[in-house]
Amino acid sequence: MVNIEDLRNEARRILKEGKVKYVIGYAKSQNGLMPVPVFVKDPEDVEKLIWDPTCIHNLAKFLSDEKKRKAKEKKPDERPVGIVVKGCDSRAIIVLLQEKYINRDDVHILGISCEGSGVIDEKKLAKKLKGKKAESVELDEKGDFVVSTKDGKIKVPAEELLAERCLECRANYPIIYDILLGDKTRKKVDAPFHSLDKMESLTEEERWAFWQEQISKCIRCYACRSVCPMCYCDECVVDTINFAVMADTSADEKAGRIKWIEKSPVPSENFVYHLVRAIHLAGRCIDCAECERVCPLDIPLRFLNKKLEKEAKELFGYDAGFDPDEPSLVSSFKDEDPEDFIR
Amino acid sequence: MDKILSKKAFSQWIKMLQSYRIYAPLRDDDIWTYEVVKLPEHIDLDFLTTALSPKKIIFPQKEVFLEFRKTNEDAPEIKELLPEEDPTIIFGVRPCDAKALILTDKVFGGDFDDIYYWKRRNHTILVGLACNTPPSPNCFCLSVDGSPHSTDGLDILMTDLGDRYYVESLGKKGDELLNLGKSLFTQPKSTDKKDKDKIQDESRKKIKRQIKDLKKVPPKLMGMWDSPFWDEEAMSCLRCGICTYMCPTCHCFDINDEILSRAPLKGRRVRTWDNCQFPDFTMHSSGHNPRPDKSSRLRQRIMHKFQYFVECHQDYQCTGCGRCISNCPVGIDIIEVLEKVRDYGS
Repeated sequence: MVNIEDLRNEARRILKEGKVKYVIGYAKSQNGLMPVPVFVKDPEDVEKLIWDPTCIHNLAKFLSDEKKRKAKEKKPDERPVGIVVKGCDSRAIIVLLQEKYINRDDVHILGISCEGSGVIDEKKLAKKLKGKKAESVELDEKGDFVVSTKDGKIKVPAEELLAERCLECRANYPIIYDILLGDKTRKKVDAPFHSLDKMESLTEEERWAFWQEQISKCIRCYACRSVCPMCYCDECVVDTINFAVMADTSADEKAGRIKWIEKSPVPSENFVYHLVRAIHLAGRCIDCAECERVCPLDIPLRFLNKKLEKEAKELFGYDAGFDPDEPSLVSSFKDEDPEDFIR
Repeated sequence: MDKILSKKAFSQWIKMLQSYRIYAPLRDDDIWTYEVVKLPEHIDLDFLTTALSPKKIIFPQKEVFLEFRKTNEDAPEIKELLPEEDPTIIFGVRPCDAKALILTDKVFGGDFDDIYYWKRRNHTILVGLACNTPPSPNCFCLSVDGSPHSTDGLDILMTDLGDRYYVESLGKKGDELLNLGKSLFTQPKSTDKKDKDKIQDESRKKIKRQIKDLKKVPPKLMGMWDSPFWDEEAMSCLRCGICTYMCPTCHCFDINDEILSRAPLKGRRVRTWDNCQFPDFTMHSSGHNPRPDKSSRLRQRIMHKFQYFVECHQDYQCTGCGRCISNCPVGIDIIEVLEKVRDYGS
């Protein structure tokens, strides 16, 4: 079992020794069950760090923040940052390494094993508790969840509360780390793309109708992009006037820029946004499903990315985020790559 | 005018209002959204905080101002488009969301009336529902001069008394709707009034979240422009637009020309919601961005709601609906931020 004191001790050590600038981890929220990201700078504050099955966020997103912040500093502190990661999150770091967006010595990875289980889906828990408030969720020895409420503890089988992605997880403990907490239990997953079965059984017309309805709900708050550790571009096609405009960029040049997408939240434009994002994540998405978790309108975005993950696997035998030394899917070519889909 | 309506008669009342376009909260799995009601039986007033507030009906995310086309070398032909003046009723408006419209009224009214906003606003009747229990765990209306049974901004306030509603009409528009369903309403007995007062009284006690001494915040903010506080608070911010787009009082917009065809030139001028948390919101044509990072954008959100708006309109630009708290992907909690501001440096 993961002992939280081991995590705190390691965080305290690397902070005290000045090995890292700060440690990105999870802390208890002042309000509600789900934790919040925390940035610990002072070794005294390591007590804030927590670990339990509510730690759902993929904190790797904050590595691109750190990189951008550093780029603006005149004399940046070149030390790495410490970061607490689960298996899935570690795969995100591997993709960032593969793409040379960050270097291995930019991060000190505090890996935590999900011990054959995973993190909880807040909505599933709310349904289970029917209005009651959960105070904490713990993992027991058998891999089930123990939920504490005001009226006592209840035991819930893991499958009933696990986030959908955890049911199909192939990295129950971090792939890459500087220290690993917890054991190396690898849960066996027989059907890693099981969640797609229902969608794939629909006809093209049915799928189109489904997505039209879903995508029409989008209000373009861009939370899915903002939370995604792979969406690190300095300029995004949806922010049209963000394209490097310099003092000497002429009005003609600005006017001549291609406008890829309108701001109107209509289905056609919403599709452009979501499909551009999905395509850009092909062979890169590590299925942390943060995009779907944060969507305030509950658009099932994970389907899109999962489908492309499956395509990458089936067509190219490619799994994103397992080997930092492997070239990324879209920047590599092999003689045996299939080409029968090129028409 | 106070009346009693039995719950059984509610859908009959709706049927009598068929000359109006009716919106009500409808459930889609885990979320509630205001949608046009097709079948009166579908209305369920036992709902939680809706994803978006009724703002989306009065001030839609997309509004076409005009269409233009060029047929020859002459000046382009321009066709102005104004919102249709469809008489509309919104059922199940929470008191906080009604108050939010009073706040946006100040922005879209005043020295200059925004015709698009007012055409919809004036043709919409707001039927409120008192919050007997807080519809969100993050409700804090009491701290921002609101209440779970406030009538501010509403035309009718309904209070659920179990098997019946206590229906208060608050003016002409409300009276009109009660008259259309005349046969269904009865006069309240003194016990009904007592029940209503008791329920409303209890509802205040059920609100768990609050900010004490919020009035200390606006003057405090005056001296915090350059404070490192904002960098600390914004560390976990993702720069998404949830807090502002979900907010019932945020009203910023952008205007763009959407080109449908280059030759012959054809297009439309469209207003859409805009968001102070986005990188291009304050991007100047020169390439300079006065709010270049997330800390300056978080500061803007707090300053606007609790300093500038208070200075200009003597009201907080927040009604305590809790949406920004419940939906923030990283748990940034406006109550906590305000408490820290209040206690900053003391």
